[in-house]
Amino acid sequence: MCQSKFPNPDLPEEKSGSSHSDARRTFLKQSSLLTALALAPSAALKAAELKYEEKVAAVFEQVKVTLGINGKKQKLSVEPRTTLLDLLREQLHLTGTKKGCDYGQCGACTVHVDGQRVLSCLTLAAMADGKEVTTIEGLADGEKLHPMQEAFIKHDGFQCGYCTPGQIMSAVACIREGHADSEDEIREYMSGNICRCGAYPNIVNAIKEVKNGGQRV
Amino acid sequence: MIPFQYVKPSKPKAAIDTVAKDQTAMFIAGGTNLVDLMKRGVMTPEKLVDINKLPLRKIERENGNVRIGALALNGAVAEDKLVMEKHPLLSQALNAGASAQLRNMATVGGNIMQRVRCPYFYDTAMPCNKREPGTGCGALQGFNRMHAIFGHSEKCIAVNPSDMNVALVALDAVVLVSGPKGDRKIPFAEFHRLPGDTPQIHTNLQQGELIMAVEIPENPYTKHVHYLKVRDRTSYAFALVSVAAALDMDGSTIKSARLAMGGVAHKPWRLNEAEQFLAGKTANEATFRQAAEIAMRGAKAFEHNKFKLQMGPNTIVQALKNAAGAV
Amino acid sequence: MDRVDSRQKVTGAAKYSAEYELPNMAHGILVGSTIAKGSIKSIDTKRAENAPGVLAVLHYQNSPKVPGYAQEAHPTEPKPAGKPLQVFIDNQIHFNDQPIAIVVADTLERAVYAARLVKVQYNVDEHATDFDKNVPKAFLPTAAKRNPKHGLNDYTRGKEDAYKNEALKIESEYVIPTEFHNPMELQSIIAHWEAADKLTVYDKTQAVIGTQNAFAKDWKIPVENVKVIATFVGGAFGNGLHTWPHETAAIIAAKKVNRPVKLMLTREQMFTMVGYRPHAWQKVGMSATKDGKITAITHEAIGQTSTYEEFTESTLQQTRMMYTSPNVTTRYRILPLDVSTPIWMRGPGEATGAFALESAMDEMAYVLGIDPLEFRLINHTDKDPEKNLPWSTKYLKEAMQMGAEQIGWSKRQLKPGQVKNGEWLVGYGMGVGTFGANRGRAKVKATLHKDGTLVMQSATTDIGPGTGTAMVQIAAQNLGLPPEKIVFELGSSLYPPSPSQGGSATVATVGSAVHAVCQTLKQRIAGMVAGNADTSFKGATVENLTFKDGYVSVTASPSARLSFADVLKQQNLPELEVTEESSPDASLRSKYSMYSFSVHFAEVQVHPLTGQVRVTNMVACADAGTIINAKTAGNQMIGGAVGGLGMALTEGGVIDHRFGRYVTKDFAEYHVPVHADAPNISAAFVNKPDLINNPNGTKGIGEIAIIGVAPAIANAIFNATGKRIRELPITPDKLMMV
Repeated sequence: MCQSKFPNPDLPEEKSGSSHSDARRTFLKQSSLLTALALAPSAALKAAELKYEEKVAAVFEQVKVTLGINGKKQKLSVEPRTTLLDLLREQLHLTGTKKGCDYGQCGACTVHVDGQRVLSCLTLAAMADGKEVTTIEGLADGEKLHPMQEAFIKHDGFQCGYCTPGQIMSAVACIREGHADSEDEIREYMSGNICRCGAYPNIVNAIKEVKNGGQRV
Repeated sequence: MIPFQYVKPSKPKAAIDTVAKDQTAMFIAGGTNLVDLMKRGVMTPEKLVDINKLPLRKIERENGNVRIGALALNGAVAEDKLVMEKHPLLSQALNAGASAQLRNMATVGGNIMQRVRCPYFYDTAMPCNKREPGTGCGALQGFNRMHAIFGHSEKCIAVNPSDMNVALVALDAVVLVSGPKGDRKIPFAEFHRLPGDTPQIHTNLQQGELIMAVEIPENPYTKHVHYLKVRDRTSYAFALVSVAAALDMDGSTIKSARLAMGGVAHKPWRLNEAEQFLAGKTANEATFRQAAEIAMRGAKAFEHNKFKLQMGPNTIVQALKNAAGAV
Repeated sequence: MDRVDSRQKVTGAAKYSAEYELPNMAHGILVGSTIAKGSIKSIDTKRAENAPGVLAVLHYQNSPKVPGYAQEAHPTEPKPAGKPLQVFIDNQIHFNDQPIAIVVADTLERAVYAARLVKVQYNVDEHATDFDKNVPKAFLPTAAKRNPKHGLNDYTRGKEDAYKNEALKIESEYVIPTEFHNPMELQSIIAHWEAADKLTVYDKTQAVIGTQNAFAKDWKIPVENVKVIATFVGGAFGNGLHTWPHETAAIIAAKKVNRPVKLMLTREQMFTMVGYRPHAWQKVGMSATKDGKITAITHEAIGQTSTYEEFTESTLQQTRMMYTSPNVTTRYRILPLDVSTPIWMRGPGEATGAFALESAMDEMAYVLGIDPLEFRLINHTDKDPEKNLPWSTKYLKEAMQMGAEQIGWSKRQLKPGQVKNGEWLVGYGMGVGTFGANRGRAKVKATLHKDGTLVMQSATTDIGPGTGTAMVQIAAQNLGLPPEKIVFELGSSLYPPSPSQGGSATVATVGSAVHAVCQTLKQRIAGMVAGNADTSFKGATVENLTFKDGYVSVTASPSARLSFADVLKQQNLPELEVTEESSPDASLRSKYSMYSFSVHFAEVQVHPLTGQVRVTNMVACADAGTIINAKTAGNQMIGGAVGGLGMALTEGGVIDHRFGRYVTKDFAEYHVPVHADAPNISAAFVNKPDLINNPNGTKGIGEIAIIGVAPAIANAIFNATGKRIRELPITPDKLMMV
């Protein structure tokens, strides 16, 4: 049932680079409670809550994933409950991807996974294993901005800038998907990206310009 | 979120067995609904079985039916040539739901399983019989503007929030399910439940049963279809009322009709009697109005959703007008 | 000119408050109460404390004490009666989702999880959250009671309630629900005690100096020991104008665990912990002569506040000064409920008041059978009838003409329901807005470097309008230096003081200090070049010098010129540093009445069967003095129009009064406008300077961008359908039920 690149729940794998790993290694070696590792997570959890042994619970907490992030392959160890958004922001310090609601209702966290625009706040990092993730930090070609970034600047497609990375990632996908043929279509297919400052008309103009400019996006 | 175990099997049987024998385990596909509910503490599975490796993504034609794999993405289905050609109503309904990003994540199986959006269900500090049986229905005497006017019970008045489901019930879709006891087919209209005394039971799926695909039988509703969704903003909002209308026309005569409503009941609400009334009638506003009145029989509203008694029939009329006019 | 920080904003490089990386940072999550009123009976934190990675669970029983818990909000704010909520001081509950504990853990996931394990039992008291049921408890704000001259007192010009005895009159009640700022950036703070008496916070605030003062006072440490960083602020619309409990909770937690603590509110908490535009009831009575002269207006308002702070706003200001009416009466009351305290939200007060006043104007015009634009022109006033002073500038008529042309006002029919587009009913509406052209005191430090670049600093913020960009442009124009050679640094308490970014006053306030600093720089440069005995510069003064493109030249003989860099070089100066403060001239303020003005036009389509509303065109025109940057100013007007569209059509908070708890607390339940709601919106400015207000001639834009928008849309809906909806938001169900 379990695939090789996924940890077998019965055989927890060591995580790398964790501040807990030494302690855990010691614990694993010494523990006569190896059977405890076969506990269902609920049992482990309860054990942890009762402070039996924090490390018992911790064993269940990490899975290894390999993600391509902005073209760079990264081997990471994450909790199953860690979202792609929190992985990007809190662990990889790629804070260009924004948390605006955390419930899939605002679009600020939009990234491309395997070329498709998705919401990183509702994507478990573990479920993105083996995939290519592009964030706003990976959109420009070095110092040369992506045409959509240029167009957002030209048309002032933002004010506070917080929704902007999500808008831009979504806008690029909107054109790639073929959903930017009219203003109304752009508006409909960009409606998953809320801009509370209300720069919508400028964003639509930016997208129109890139679409009509015919540049490769 | 509570800590949980995560596995990703590559065979349906392994996935099904894992969930079948563990009451605390759940399948996860797109995650757009489940991850949200887990963040709010509304759902607390201790094991997630990621089914994305299962070969359930295909959209294909089989014996005249269109079969859509459970893992086909909402966005992909909406723009699939076969779907647009054979079942444009489904395409329209899918595009009326959520946002482009969510449609790129959400699967057909997951959309069928979508839970209610009732604010009392979502807030663990509020009463909700669905989330915590026996605590009472918060909406019954509360803020019930978005709630049901058909098929509700004292225990629950929430509505099924899916747009896709409204189209699928109208199109007589069949849900193909695989479970620990084997495979079975569930007609779409029988898949979801009315709340009755057990609103905590969301669908007629058994523990461990997995949606494999949805089949839509061949039908003549390829031209005169319309999905009309009335909501609080122009896009990216749940329906106040929605109507899926499909007509098979011969000139101005309706040969047959399909009609279903969203935002009015705990399940996608098929309007069989109105459909029967429409068959053989001339397509005009008066006919549509009569059909709408038939459709609304038995509706019962609450303090804040009385408007649905008027918006419901009006939306039916308008959807039928649009469908009749659509080519 | 493009924004100076645009590259950072489009590449993700702009860092907002929760995005700083500090070593050993811990994560805090707040636990909110689940009752609206009462007290904590018991709080069980054992499970949370034992959960993996948890460093502390703090609440009223074990929280480190805040030694000097500030008695007021920001010292820069007018002091309200009552005092802000203080976290973790006792077991009292004043509103639902009041922060009652903070859980700190080594990772975000662990903190989030453990916060759910805190179990609280309450002694429940009966709460009052229902505005309608508690209206009799409304009272005159204490500030007004204490001071008979206070602007919140009842006001009468001419005869009280004179409309009542007139023949041609209207009398209507209007309601706006609670609305929430909901900036896209969640309210966040990183609190870091760099030493026992040295605090640094990366905080989402509109007031770095105000925040610095508040925390210094709270913790009884010297002001200079508190550093507040708010380089980028992801929108705020007013909710960064108060010091909120979550900020202090994070600081307490950081103190306790002795690590930097990051706290980001959840979207639900944005509805309960950082203020909102208060629910308000209003009534307008108006009378007019047959030919359209307003004879009397009475405008009454009741606004919601909390039980622990008296929040007030100037809801009735526009009614007092906008039209010529000889008889005007206003009465303002507040109603304390068991809810959290409101805070000014874009166009505070005035946006609420304008919905009632400008709807009533439309209703009166309809009764009279006069075009609503004509009606407003008839009652236009060339001096402030409240203060009996001339306007510093007022170009509202010009703005009205521009707007009417652009929207195609001539297509509007007096009788509703006459214009159609297919099945859809088409209507046109307008609304006027005004807001005080405020200006405060600010200080700017400018350093001219030897490479000829200029760096300016001031502790203002930029929540989105493009403050840095405007300041760079003002300096470029005043100093004759290309904008690309100028940097304006803001958002740090290390810089010279500026007031909070609020009340549409930033460009007038900080821009005046930039103007002053540039004048001084020019004088210093003039003084330097004048000493050049052997050149044509000898004896030069600012008046006969030209400053252009980074060079100074004698106006009469422009061929001899020196770059600013060379001037410094000649003087052997590594840099030239100047700091200037600028304040408004109080004597001018007593001679003139200073306001910005706007007029908003909307074209809407309403579906007669389904009640769906589409706004198909909007035009926003403003008299906002000199426009420094047409692009960013236009954007602000557009944004205000979208905000007003939300106010008119989609936004409204709902409390289930049985629990005193919001049922609309995320973006699925509380609808802010999306792309598909927003049409093309044109913004236009009269662009004439107000040099009485300040040397740059500017007047504020932020507030007038939204004030008057909601009534423009509501009036357009009436014009389309004949249905007058007086309770916002105008959702399809309301149009269905009338």
